[in-house]
Parts: sequence; structure tokens; C-alpha cells
Amino acid sequence: MSHPIVQSGPPAGGGAEAGDGMHRRSFLRSSAVLTTGLAALAASLSPLLELKDLTTLERFVQKYYKELTPEEMAKVLQRIERDVEEEYKVRPHVRDLKPMDGVEFVYALNLTRCIGCRKCVHACVAENNQSRTPEIQYIRVLKLPHGSIDMEKAQHDYSPETVPEKGFFYMPVQCQQCKNPPCVKVCPVNATWQEKDGITVIDYDWCIGCRYCAAACPFWARRFNFTKPLIPKERLNPEMAYLGNRPRRQGVMEKCHFCVQRTRAGRYPACLEVCPAGARKFGNILDPESEVSQILSRKRVFIQLKEEMGTSPRFFYYFDV
Amino acid sequence: MNAANKTAAAQGALILCFLALAGYFVLNPGGNGVHVQEVPLVDVAFTNRATARMSAAEVIRTEGDASGQDCYACHERDKPPKLKFNPDQSVVNAKEHMDITMGHGSHNRNNNCFNCHNETNLELLQTRDGKELKLVDSAPLCGSCHGPTYRDWEVGIHGRTSGYWKRDAGPFERQICVSCHDPHSPKFRPWKPAPGPHSMRSVAVQADSGHSTTTPHL
Ligand code: HEC
Ligand code: HEC
Ligand code: HEC
Ligand code: HEC
Repeated sequence: MSHPIVQSGPPAGGGAEAGDGMHRRSFLRSSAVLTTGLAALAASLSPLLELKDLTTLERFVQKYYKELTPEEMAKVLQRIERDVEEEYKVRPHVRDLKPMDGVEFVYALNLTRCIGCRKCVHACVAENNQSRTPEIQYIRVLKLPHGSIDMEKAQHDYSPETVPEKGFFYMPVQCQQCKNPPCVKVCPVNATWQEKDGITVIDYDWCIGCRYCAAACPFWARRFNFTKPLIPKERLNPEMAYLGNRPRRQGVMEKCHFCVQRTRAGRYPACLEVCPAGARKFGNILDPESEVSQILSRKRVFIQLKEEMGTSPRFFYYFDV
Repeated sequence: MNAANKTAAAQGALILCFLALAGYFVLNPGGNGVHVQEVPLVDVAFTNRATARMSAAEVIRTEGDASGQDCYACHERDKPPKLKFNPDQSVVNAKEHMDITMGHGSHNRNNNCFNCHNETNLELLQTRDGKELKLVDSAPLCGSCHGPTYRDWEVGIHGRTSGYWKRDAGPFERQICVSCHDPHSPKFRPWKPAPGPHSMRSVAVQADSGHSTTTPHL
């Protein structure tokens, strides 16, 4: 493409004797302008300089998750392992775990049991490599007065000597893994979607950080990396999954994914494992023997948060009666 | 203004624009590099899988002090200890058993040591229907009086089952009653809560988007 300045000749009707000089002058001027302009342009594009290594470039040109062949996926996983090792000096094991056939996950949480100790919050952070500064947590434990579930009265920054406190109960809230997820519908680039085991996942390499999903979520379950996440390397969990707990970068969304790196390998999620009260139950609702199936068929009082929104959560709260 | 001047002006403006952008990125006044104060790390004790208490079985497994379980180090084989009762029907504890606080049931309804311990062989537990159990095998004892809870526990509804939910993929572990309940005063003990959300997060978010995400918007 020719620079427009080259075309600017002498003014219409200019004398022939002025011709030469004008050309030379305008040529000099135009090249000066061109150089300064290009230099400034280059400088203004300097954020691209951060695409310093091949790795970032590879991520940049990476294909959509669902279109990656197994060979391409293997390459991507290697790239991530390399990246993580470079940044944290810890060699991770990154897998792309797929949903299992005949499995649909459901969570059930016993509000009569929960004592509000917040161990689930921190076990989740440790398992899922959330940023420690600034602090990103997938689970928020609400403290509510007995007698009603009035979210207006919910408190989340309680810090008494011991829990539970008289007259209150506790309600941990995290991604509800809706059957009808509004967050998925609003994503303009399909970077978040629901998989057949019921888990709504995010491809951190595809997310453009527009935060529509966070605005669409009625449960306030999505977390955004406003700044570069900071995780001390000795706290990094090296057992990772692509759609799960691999480290995120600045500008992407994240949220609870039922610990895909554990649950798709047959294990219970981290929040359940640490619950001292045994309030958290997780499993395959398609298996009639699973804990969650037994609970849903035996217990009588269930609450689905914001049921009226019609999102149909796969997360059930219940009381023992 | 003629065409040449117009182009020149446009060029000038563009260059200024680029220069300004360049300056912005170099100086970075927007604060990408703003130094945020680090949030203190959470004590790893809050992320472990410890239960409310150590059962007798767990004490043996971890090679802790199991001397309290060795009844006949102090008692004599054919001399069952005599129970003495306070006016309120609670058992008078020997000073050797001061670590035991009885408080089983809302009106201390299950205080009698021999409701659970076998009188003639202290090393054993005994259910109301006469079944004898080892001290470390107490779940069926609890189950003999707490049928519904026990049945819930057997299928994993009450208590905690961890490990593998997919039973053919790996082992699972089911905590026994006395890992969570002290058999002598079984009410679940109070717990020190882990730190709540750090307020700095709301500050950082406020600076960026004008609203805080730490207030529950439910
Ligand atoms: C450190 C020594 C010691 C050990 C170990 C010990 N006891 Fe005792 N126990 C005593 C003494 C001393 C008494 C009071 C004197 C008596 O009645 O024999 C007592 C009393 C009792 C009593 C009567 C009620 C009470 O609280 O005083 C019961 C029941 C009893 N022991 C059960 C057990 C059982 C069951 C074990 C083993 C699991 C055990 N003891 C282990 C020293 C011990
Ligand atoms: C001899 C019968 C009996 C046995 C054996 C028994 N319990 Fe109980 N338990 C009771 C009674 C009675 C209550 C009081 C129920 C009430 O007040 O409504 C109770 C209450 C409880 C409670 C409720 C908290 C409280 O103190 O009110 C818990 C928890 C409990 N038992 C746990 C256990 C465990 C764990 C075991 C096994 C180590 C066990 N129980 C064995 C009879 C028994
Ligand atoms: C509800 C049933 C129950 C009652 C009532 C009961 N115990 Fe126990 N006791 C147990 C069980 C179960 C264990 C084993 C606990 C474990 O695994 O941690 C135990 C453990 C013990 C131990 C061993 C503790 C140690 O250091 O490991 C002693 C001693 C004891 N009981 C004494 C008594 C005395 C004395 C009384 C009456 C004052 C009493 N128990 C009443 C169920 C009972
Ligand atoms: C993972 C820990 C855990 C285990 C294991 C556990 N419980 Fe509980 N249990 C609790 C908690 C938490 C509560 C509710 C707290 C409270 O109200 O004291 C509770 C409550 C109870 C109650 C009171 C009635 C109720 O349902 O609220 C009984 C009875 C009871 N448990 C019996 C048992 C028996 C019997 C077993 C073993 C078969 C057992 N528990 C195993 C944690 C546990």
C-alpha cells in the first residue's frame, strides 16, 4: 500500500519552475513523516512486544478446544507444562480429562451439618491454583440467621472465635453448575460451555475477558483475574487439567468446575475431602447407589438457590428432617 | 486550507496520537504494574483433612499415646469398677478418668459407662443386645442406638466418605462415628473458622471496575 503523502503533488496550477523543488521538498518531508509515523506506530504497538516468545504466539494461534485433534491437544498440553515449569519451576502434569459416559455430577450440601468453618474455601484455593494476591476464591460461605433464607441478611465476613454461632446457619455458595446456564448463553466467543457430565467449563485460552458471563450469573460464582494472578511456587498444585486448575493469566474468567482434574479421574472434589462435618456430598446422579442419588431420593427438604430464575442448578441444599 | 495542508494536518495528528499512545505504554500510568500488597498466606492447617478428633483406632494407627486404651494396666481382671453416681444421676469419675466428660444426650440420658463398655471385659464394647465389639470397632455400637443415622452412614449420607467416588477407580475412606463425635460427649465440637475473604480484594476490584464483588449479591 502506498503512503498517501507520496501522491500529494504541487498545488493545482503551480508553475513548472516550482515543480522540482516541490517534489524534492515534499519527498523529504514525506519520508521524515513516514519514519516518525512508523516509529510512533511501532512504539504504540509495544504491548505486542510481550508476545515475546514462541509460547505466547502458539497460544495466540491455538485452535478452538473442541476442534483440536488429540495430537494437537498433546502439543498444547506440552506447551502448558513448559510454560508452568518456566514460571513456577515446578514440573506439572497437565491432562485433558473428558467427561465419562453415563456420568452426570450433582452436589448436595447439608445445611444442618455445615458449621461455617471455611475449610472448603481454602482447600479449594489450594487445589485449584487460585491467585493468592489478589485473593480469588470460588466458594463464599454465607452466614444466615435461623428461620429463613433471606439473602439480604447474609454475612460473609464473620470471624468469631469459634463456629457455629448460636442462632445462625451457614450456606457455602459456589458455581451451581446449572442445567440451563445463563453464563454460557452470553459468552460471545463460546469460551465457556456445558459438558455432558454437567460441568460448565471455561477455556482460559479462548476467553477474551469481556465478563458478560460474570454479569449473567445469578449466583455471583464467576471470578475475574483483574491482575496477574500470584501463586507462591511452593503452593502450586502440579496435578492439573486443561479445563480445570492449570494456572490462569490476567484478563480471564474462572470459577468452580467441580474439580475436573479430580472428579473426572474418579475422585471426590477437594472441598468435600476437607469438610470436618461431612456436610458436602458429591457424585453421579445416574448411579442409583451414589450418595447424591440416595440423598435426593431419601431427604425431603431441598432448596435450589434462586429456583425462580429457572437455571436449574445441579447443586442442592438440604436439611435433615 | 488546501488539500496538502489538510493531509499534513492529518498526518501530524496521527503521529501525535501514536506518540501519545507510545508514551502511555512506556510510562504506564494506568497501573498495570501497580504494586499490590501481598495477602498473607493461609495456614495449611486449614486445608488439611483432619477430623474433629482422633479415634482410638487412629491413635493406634499413628502410633500415638494409646495407654488409656490399656484398661488392665490399672484395672484388675475380675474386679469390675464400681460406678458411683452424683445426685443428678451422672457418674462420679475417678481422677484417672478426668479426661472423660460425660454428656451424651440432651439430658445426659446415656451416661452409664456400661451402656457401652463391657463390665466384665473392659477392653470390649457391648451393644444393648449383647454383641461384643473391639474398642476400635465402635460404629455398630453407635448404630445399635442410632439406627437411622447409622443406616445413613452406611451408604455415605451421614459422615464423610472421601477418596474415590468411582469405586472401581480407587479406594475410598469412610470416617467412623468417633472420628467426629467423642463417644462420651458426642455433640460436634466448636471449630475455629479459617480466615474470611481478604478485604484487599474488594479494594482492588473497586479500583478497577467501580464496584466490589465481595458483597454477596444473592
Ligand atoms: C491409668 C489407669 C487406668 C486406665 C488405663 C483405665 N482406668 Fe478405669 N479407672 C481407673 C481407676 C483408678 C478407677 C477408679 C477405681 C475403680 O473403680 O477401680 C477407674 C474407674 C473406672 C470406671 C468406673 C467409673 C469411673 O469413671 O470412675 C470405669 C467404667 C472404668 N474405669 C473403665 C475403664 C475402661 C473401659 C478402660 C480402658 C478403655 C479404663 N477404665 C482404663 C484407672 C484406669
Ligand atoms: C445406649 C444407647 C446409645 C448408644 C450406644 C449411643 N448413643 Fe448416642 N445418644 C443416645 C441417646 C439416648 C441420645 C440423646 C437423644 C436425645 O436427647 O434426643 C444420644 C445422642 C447422641 C448425639 C446427639 C448429641 C447429643 O449429645 O445430644 C450424638 C451425636 C450421638 N448420640 C452420637 C453417638 C455416637 C457417636 C455413639 C457411638 C460411640 C453413640 N451415640 C452411641 C443413646 C446412645
Ligand atoms: C456411648 C457409649 C459410651 C459410654 C456411655 C461410655 N463410653 Fe467410654 N468409650 C466408648 C467408645 C466407643 C470408646 C472408644 C473411643 C475411640 O475410639 O476413640 C470409649 C473409650 C473409653 C476409654 C479409652 C479412652 C482412651 O484414652 O482412648 C475409657 C477410659 C472410657 N471409654 C471410659 C469410660 C467411662 C469411665 C465411662 C462412664 C463414665 C464411659 N467410658 C462411658 C463408648 C462409651
Ligand atoms: C464427618 C463427621 C461425622 C461422622 C463420621 C459422623 N457424624 Fe454424626 N454428626 C456430625 C455432625 C457435624 C453432626 C451435626 C452437629 C451437631 O448438631 O452436633 C452430627 C450429628 C449426629 C447426631 C445428632 C442427630 C442429627 O442427625 O443431627 C447423631 C445421633 C449422630 N451424628 C450420630 C452419628 C453416628 C452414629 C455416626 C457413625 C455411624 C456418625 N454420627 C458419624 C458429623 C459426623
